[in-house]
Amino acid sequence: MKNIMEQVMNQVTDHKADADLILSTSKSLKMSAQNGSVSEYKVSSSQMLGIRVIKNGAVGISYTEALDADSLKYMVKQAIQNAESNEANPNEKILELTGSVSDEMTYAENETDISLKTQKALELESIVKASDSRVVAVPYNSYNENEYQSFSLTSKGRATTYSDKSYSITSSALLDDKGKKALYYDYNIAHTFNELQWNKVIETSLLHARNILEAKTLPTGKYAVRFTTDSLKSLMECFSNFYSAKSAMDKVNPWANKLGEQVISADLSIEDQPLYAQAFRVSKFDSEGVVRKPLALITNGKLNSFLHNSVTANYFKTETTGHGSRGAASSLNVSGTHFIVHGKNKKPLPAKYMEVIQMDGLGSGANRVTGDFSVAVKGYLWENGQKIMTFGNITMSGNLIEMLKNVEVVGTELEASTDSSFFSVPLMFNDLSIAGT
Amino acid sequence: MQLLQAHIAQDVLSLGLSLGADFVDIFIEKTQSEGFVFKNSRAEDTQSGIIFGIGIRLIYGEQALYGYTNSTDREELLRITKLLGSRIGKGLKTPTPINFEKLSYPKIPTIQDREVDAKYKLSFLKKIDERLRTDEKVSQVMLNYMKKNQLIEVYNSEGLAATEERPYIRLYHQVVMKDGNLQTEAGFGPGAIGGWEFMETLNIEENCNMLLKQANTTLYAPPCPAGKMPVIIDNGFGGVIFHEACGHLLETTSVEKKASVFWDKMGEQIAHSALSAVDDGTIAGSWGSLSIDDEGMPTQKTTLIENGILKRFISDRLGETKTGHKRTGSGRRQSYKFAPASRMRNTYIEKGPHQLSELLASVPNGLYAKKMGGGSVNPSTGEFNFAVQEAYLIKDGKITTPVKGATLIGTGADVMTKISMVGNNLELMAGMCGSVSGSIPTTVGQPCIKVDEILVGGEA
Repeated sequence: MKNIMEQVMNQVTDHKADADLILSTSKSLKMSAQNGSVSEYKVSSSQMLGIRVIKNGAVGISYTEALDADSLKYMVKQAIQNAESNEANPNEKILELTGSVSDEMTYAENETDISLKTQKALELESIVKASDSRVVAVPYNSYNENEYQSFSLTSKGRATTYSDKSYSITSSALLDDKGKKALYYDYNIAHTFNELQWNKVIETSLLHARNILEAKTLPTGKYAVRFTTDSLKSLMECFSNFYSAKSAMDKVNPWANKLGEQVISADLSIEDQPLYAQAFRVSKFDSEGVVRKPLALITNGKLNSFLHNSVTANYFKTETTGHGSRGAASSLNVSGTHFIVHGKNKKPLPAKYMEVIQMDGLGSGANRVTGDFSVAVKGYLWENGQKIMTFGNITMSGNLIEMLKNVEVVGTELEASTDSSFFSVPLMFNDLSIAGT
Repeated sequence: MQLLQAHIAQDVLSLGLSLGADFVDIFIEKTQSEGFVFKNSRAEDTQSGIIFGIGIRLIYGEQALYGYTNSTDREELLRITKLLGSRIGKGLKTPTPINFEKLSYPKIPTIQDREVDAKYKLSFLKKIDERLRTDEKVSQVMLNYMKKNQLIEVYNSEGLAATEERPYIRLYHQVVMKDGNLQTEAGFGPGAIGGWEFMETLNIEENCNMLLKQANTTLYAPPCPAGKMPVIIDNGFGGVIFHEACGHLLETTSVEKKASVFWDKMGEQIAHSALSAVDDGTIAGSWGSLSIDDEGMPTQKTTLIENGILKRFISDRLGETKTGHKRTGSGRRQSYKFAPASRMRNTYIEKGPHQLSELLASVPNGLYAKKMGGGSVNPSTGEFNFAVQEAYLIKDGKITTPVKGATLIGTGADVMTKISMVGNNLELMAGMCGSVSGSIPTTVGQPCIKVDEILVGGEA
């Protein structure tokens, strides 16, 4: 692999250009069950080499999945041509970093026999079906293994190596009671086979599906709403452009001109913690090879910083924060790692509130420029500390910016999302619009 | 150009059969693509690339085993086949020799390509950018141009050898508008199977006017009131409601798992008698068309619903095996990284007898959804949600105040019975559909329709 990358880099320098190269490889295994047998068994191995060339200040990107000499030559030629068709961008340069950095994770685990994996994969369906006579199908169930490696090399002499391995499982329960249907699914991700929480995904799927089967609609009105950490993560990630210097540069960030200003409640602080110990995977360097460190995005409600790569940093005349992200086939972008939402001035829980466990339609129902969203939600209604009913068939509308301004902190302990990539204290959002009966 | 030598394909297929498989197929893909992102009035991201890979599928009864690689090396392909076949352990058998017969099929016409250099393409995009920026409230214009050529080969153990070249072209327009603290965005993404000449057919003036009108309307609009009400959904992208609320539920991928509310409703009335709908892979130049599917079957026009009665499911090979519903040339996938699944092509509600004005006149109080955004569905429960990009209130049969932030939610089984009037202004629109076999080009479409009652999400 190293030889291939060096060969390509030599071709680039012959063209008097700078470049960075990313070579990614992956191997995976997936099994799904249907009616008691493995209905899908998928193995894969794939690779992709991508190049970002900068010639005369202009950028060109190209990639290939074929690594023979002709394809590599063609890729370089295409990247150079693409750069030549672009205007120069004075902010985009290959960073002056040298040396090698490595982030290769290994996990202590025993070899697991494929027959045990198959048996456990089948149980993701069979146990759910056997648990409740109303289960008509387990439409989402799978066992997955993924191994991923990536190497990067820049013409300035920076080389990085990254590798990781993960296991994940999904189960679901589709219940039917006299024509009324309810579905819920859950998943779990781990670094070793033995860490997988098989019972948890099965039981969580069944528990919520059974409750959703009893769901009723709510009267249209304004409600206090608490999100599960997974739901809050989905909402916050949907509007992650608020923290991105790239979206500020592209004029699609409503906080573009708000640095140093109070943008949300003074009770909240948000940081990006690449090396957070409780996260599923720490992230030591970004796609430009910049060593990462924690970043306070919002402190006591004031916007401190955006997430930057070197291009946005040059544009805004600041330093990169180590949040450059680029895949082999994509251009240089910005992305966060693990968001931690801290809170202070804890308030008591209101007497009555909704707990949202499932949101549908965020992808199409959100306006990332304004923070407005409207989604279908399901969950539980709480009153005086008791879960009094399950709700469904309603929509919830709001504006995330206004919500974060008026939020109340209702707990002090950080709670983790299922994938351990997002952490937040419990929050309560008042007066969200609910449309039901 | 041959992507995989026939004798290697024969060896792989023979090995698969010798490992006890009932059926084996190989899908080979080479896709060359190019694209620009034109933003901040300049080309910001110019890229091109090659996707190449081979997928091998072994079917044992109702079980599918799938593997893929980027390599054309015979030994690597045999290794993957052996790895897959060894999972079943059915024992070895002697395969019958496979003699390929090249499939001939009618080619769906595509829009002509023309050699155009990068400079010309950029000047074309610049023209659109400049036109949109004539409105001084426009703070950003993003034009995403994509052109790709997918060359596929399919071999299977029944002796099929088929190949197709599929050219795609699309230009997604997005405009962001700002006035003080108010901001909004509007988007539009026409696409076709074909080449550059499709771009020449775009009416830049009309498209820019439509986008600016939509952005100007939603910029100042108050929030949509929430509640149940009748909704008129206009033509074109409004068809996303049928795609999500019904189309996905008619794919055998859902039917085979009984994860569709329609799995046992063949021949029954599942929609209002005013509604007929088709899934048609054969429309010349249309974004969702293809001459053969990814299993090598020629595509067809499939009537799904006729006068409200369920006539046909959208089926692929495995779907037919599992459900008994005949294949419809609908086995599709994003790339060699996915096994094929039953997927939609150009799916639309057929035109009816009414003018839009007649539909509006029948509504005393309701919502007119002029332009729909995206949406999603849970096929198992039929629950769907859609965003409305441009909407107006209807008062006494007349379009009145614009409103923003409307969402429509419901279930497919319920809404299909409530489409009581169908207009005559059928229009198709390009989109991307994500599902079990990845993200694929599909067309949605409909004439204007009236839904008697649906839950509209908005301001309470």
